[in-house]
Amino acid sequence: MSMLVRLGLSAAVGLCLLALPVRADGPKFIEPPSLAKDVAAGKLEPVAQRLPKTPLVSDMLDRKRTIGRYGGQLRMLAAKARDLRYVTVNGYTRLVTYDENLNLKPDVLEKFDNEGDRVFTFTLREGHRWSDGAPFTTEDFRYYWEDIANNRELSPSGPPDLFIAGGKLPKVEILDARHIRYSWDTPNPRFLPSLALPRPIFIYSPAHYLRKFHARYADPKQLAALVAKKKATSWAALHNKLEDPYEASNVDMPVLDPWYVVTKAPAQRFVFERNPYFHRVDPEGHQLPYIDRVVVDIASAGLFAAKANAGEVDLQARGLSMADVPVLKEGEAGHKYRTLLWPIARGSAFALYPNLTTNDPVWRKLLRDVRFRRALSLGIDRHTLNNALWFGLGIEGNDTVMPESALYQPDFRTAWADFDPERANAMLDDIGLAKRDLSGTRLLPDGRPLEILVEVAGDAADLIDALQITAEFWADIGVELVIKPQDASNLRQRSFAGETVMVASQGLDNALPTALMSPGELALTRQDNFAWPKWGQYFETGGRVGEAPDMPEAKQLMDLYDQWLTSSDLSAKAHAWTEMLRLHAENQWVIGTVAGSIQPVVVAEHLKNVPAKAVFSWEPTAMLGAYHIDEFYFDDQSDQSASQ
Amino acid sequence: MIIYVLRRLVTMAVTLLVISMLIFVIIKLPPGDYLTNRLDELRSQGDPASAAKADMLRAQYGLDKPIWYQYATWVGIWPKPSGFSGLLQGDWGQSFEYDVPVSEVVGAALGMTLLINLATVIFIHVVAIPIAIYSATHRNSVGSHVITFLGYIGLATPSFLLALALLFYLNRWFGISIGGMMDPVYADQPMSMAKLGSVLSHLVVPVVVIGLAGTAGMIRRMRANLLDELNKQYTVTAKAKGLPPTRALLKYPFRIALNPFVADIGNILPHIVSGSVLVSLVLSLPTVGPILLQALKVQDQYLAGFILMFVAALTVVGMLIADLALAVLDPRIRLGQHG
Repeated sequence: MSMLVRLGLSAAVGLCLLALPVRADGPKFIEPPSLAKDVAAGKLEPVAQRLPKTPLVSDMLDRKRTIGRYGGQLRMLAAKARDLRYVTVNGYTRLVTYDENLNLKPDVLEKFDNEGDRVFTFTLREGHRWSDGAPFTTEDFRYYWEDIANNRELSPSGPPDLFIAGGKLPKVEILDARHIRYSWDTPNPRFLPSLALPRPIFIYSPAHYLRKFHARYADPKQLAALVAKKKATSWAALHNKLEDPYEASNVDMPVLDPWYVVTKAPAQRFVFERNPYFHRVDPEGHQLPYIDRVVVDIASAGLFAAKANAGEVDLQARGLSMADVPVLKEGEAGHKYRTLLWPIARGSAFALYPNLTTNDPVWRKLLRDVRFRRALSLGIDRHTLNNALWFGLGIEGNDTVMPESALYQPDFRTAWADFDPERANAMLDDIGLAKRDLSGTRLLPDGRPLEILVEVAGDAADLIDALQITAEFWADIGVELVIKPQDASNLRQRSFAGETVMVASQGLDNALPTALMSPGELALTRQDNFAWPKWGQYFETGGRVGEAPDMPEAKQLMDLYDQWLTSSDLSAKAHAWTEMLRLHAENQWVIGTVAGSIQPVVVAEHLKNVPAKAVFSWEPTAMLGAYHIDEFYFDDQSDQSASQ
Repeated sequence: MIIYVLRRLVTMAVTLLVISMLIFVIIKLPPGDYLTNRLDELRSQGDPASAAKADMLRAQYGLDKPIWYQYATWVGIWPKPSGFSGLLQGDWGQSFEYDVPVSEVVGAALGMTLLINLATVIFIHVVAIPIAIYSATHRNSVGSHVITFLGYIGLATPSFLLALALLFYLNRWFGISIGGMMDPVYADQPMSMAKLGSVLSHLVVPVVVIGLAGTAGMIRRMRANLLDELNKQYTVTAKAKGLPPTRALLKYPFRIALNPFVADIGNILPHIVSGSVLVSLVLSLPTVGPILLQALKVQDQYLAGFILMFVAALTVVGMLIADLALAVLDPRIRLGQHG
């Protein structure tokens, strides 16, 4: 580097400190002040050299966000070290991401080509680097594909399920250092969306870092020494332990996220530092993120609300619930924060799952009768539930997608979801449940009283409250509801074994789907769906365990799911989605009640660019991820440091 | 005497061995293992964790081996692939949850636990003994009744409730941060006067909360013991012979009244480590208690096993110390002489 250039650079750095745009040839990028010292000392290249040639220029202004200023640290809370993964989720750096309108956009990728969901060609950004400065290239994809996913010792069961379409793995071609192609014979529409999940499949790994721990590359003696030193049982165990793009447990693992962890567990306070090679810039050329540091304090979950009330966090959603809102509101004035109330995008905050694959033959027959499920649904006064438990803010109706989703149809929400105990009674009489005992409870065909044992996770206090109210409604239609709270994992085991009759839980995980997202949750694909654990088992194990679906309506779900999987046409996919949602509404496989409960989000008063109203969900918004936490900034830093 | 101690040591070793077996069996009793728990937890939080990797991880963690093998390698009476390395050899095993050796997880927490519980023990004695003496010597006075009343309240108040209330108001009035052992800012800083001050100010709530119930109990026991002794003939004689009241009290009846507390040393030692679990959880203190609870919940078997073993060992050692101390203090007690 010539003397002149060096002078020019330090002048540029000086200007950056004043936060003025740099006048130079080419794009103008602005150095975060917290890195300026390292740049001046020569430990770090200037920002223009650290960024990819074409960084991702954020469309902040289109989203009515304001240009921020640098600095400060964002204080958050976590209940345990493993919850640091939520920093990764909120940081939401993925090959492709959903934006706030749930369109799939390239993020780490410069662009992607999708030919009929069969051939995907990815283009990386030129000069993109890992957080340790090493180049990020297709070698990192190759390393993952050949040396991790297809290495029998590291992945005994082969590459993840999402790579399999039409029973086959893709052809993976490295075109050059920036281009890679995945091609299948049949469409694989799940591939792209699953790269944008809050917990995605990471199909790349830092090869330059991990090679040291891979038997194919490392010197056997050195590797053996490393394995012994880290007390791992084999090199594969060591490699698996160190390869952690998600849980932020390995401080040496390079990442592409806005911040990287620098604190080793166990600790009471974890610090994440700015990634100097992060690939996004704002429209004025500031390298993102604005905030220098994320600090996560470990505290027991019971104290989150109290700590927020005392002004000890700058941004917190996870761990706070609707019941905390009064405490949070109370502290707002004194401790300079706002409590945003975001609707939670879930199909239903309280849903009942009649187990269609339960062991008891009498119950199985009854629960499979659609009239019975509809009668139960008609017997619930959703309006009273809403008022009693959700301040009347919820949306009453079935377990279906939110109105914000393009796939929403009002009658999916309302079908069989009004409160009509007379009709419910008549229907139950029709089924042959007209006989009652002395207390007015109906009798099952075999003479037992119609007592539905509803099992629920013991720590879900709101569900238990809702069940107690529901029991009153059902008593009016001659159905007795008995609540059995228990340990969540125990509940799941019982469900898998077919011992549950009905389970209370929450509704759809992803209630903001687009036609491009997988409708697998609606189909019989998972054994942890309490409505049909055995059918899910059958699918998950490829028919080795569980039972084959034997109800025509349910089989239809699988046909529709297959249609979605095999078609590359958007309208066909939307059709599959709509039909599946319609089937759910009509069949009441899951009896939904009230959706759109509230997620309180505590935001420091001087933290800007946080949307006042937004939908909170795990999938697809990745909690706060889709709202670009890297664009949040403190407008008054002196105030923040004073408050510490 | 020496023979007695030796015999006790042998019994202790056998006791600990039996305890270690019980501990391991009990930790293993709930269905599933660490990995099933972890996958369940991930699933319930919306993470579609792949079960495919579970079997491989199970083999890596050694969870696919029979339980006797896991136990025997943990204690160190059976070789691992890398040779004998277990509790007996000073290797406390690996924590699954934190993925580091148990010693690293427990190390820092042990220090904090000792600090809190020692402070509490001192607090209890300093507060309880003078009050007990006062209320025993001033029977039926107004002061004594007030103290007795407060003592009952101290016994009856749920400690976690008191903890929450204290946290809230100390934060309001003095700006002490909520929960934890220090202000979060100091967590990653080296020791300094400011940090020490922060730790001390955060000690107030746990010590008062944990200590209060203990104090009330101690006042009542001490007072009852003293009352027994005060009316005995030797005390009356001492007074009659003209010993000043204070000396007459402290020299004889007080010493005898302390007797049960020396016998209590055996309980105090393990209590210093495992006490205050509930309060630690509520106050989110980085002590052993919450770590133990979490370890049991997720079946982090070697971590939970070590903590339980450690407490058991302390109990056994504490009992020995108590017995020896009693023998020294109270000449009426004889050890190891059968007739």
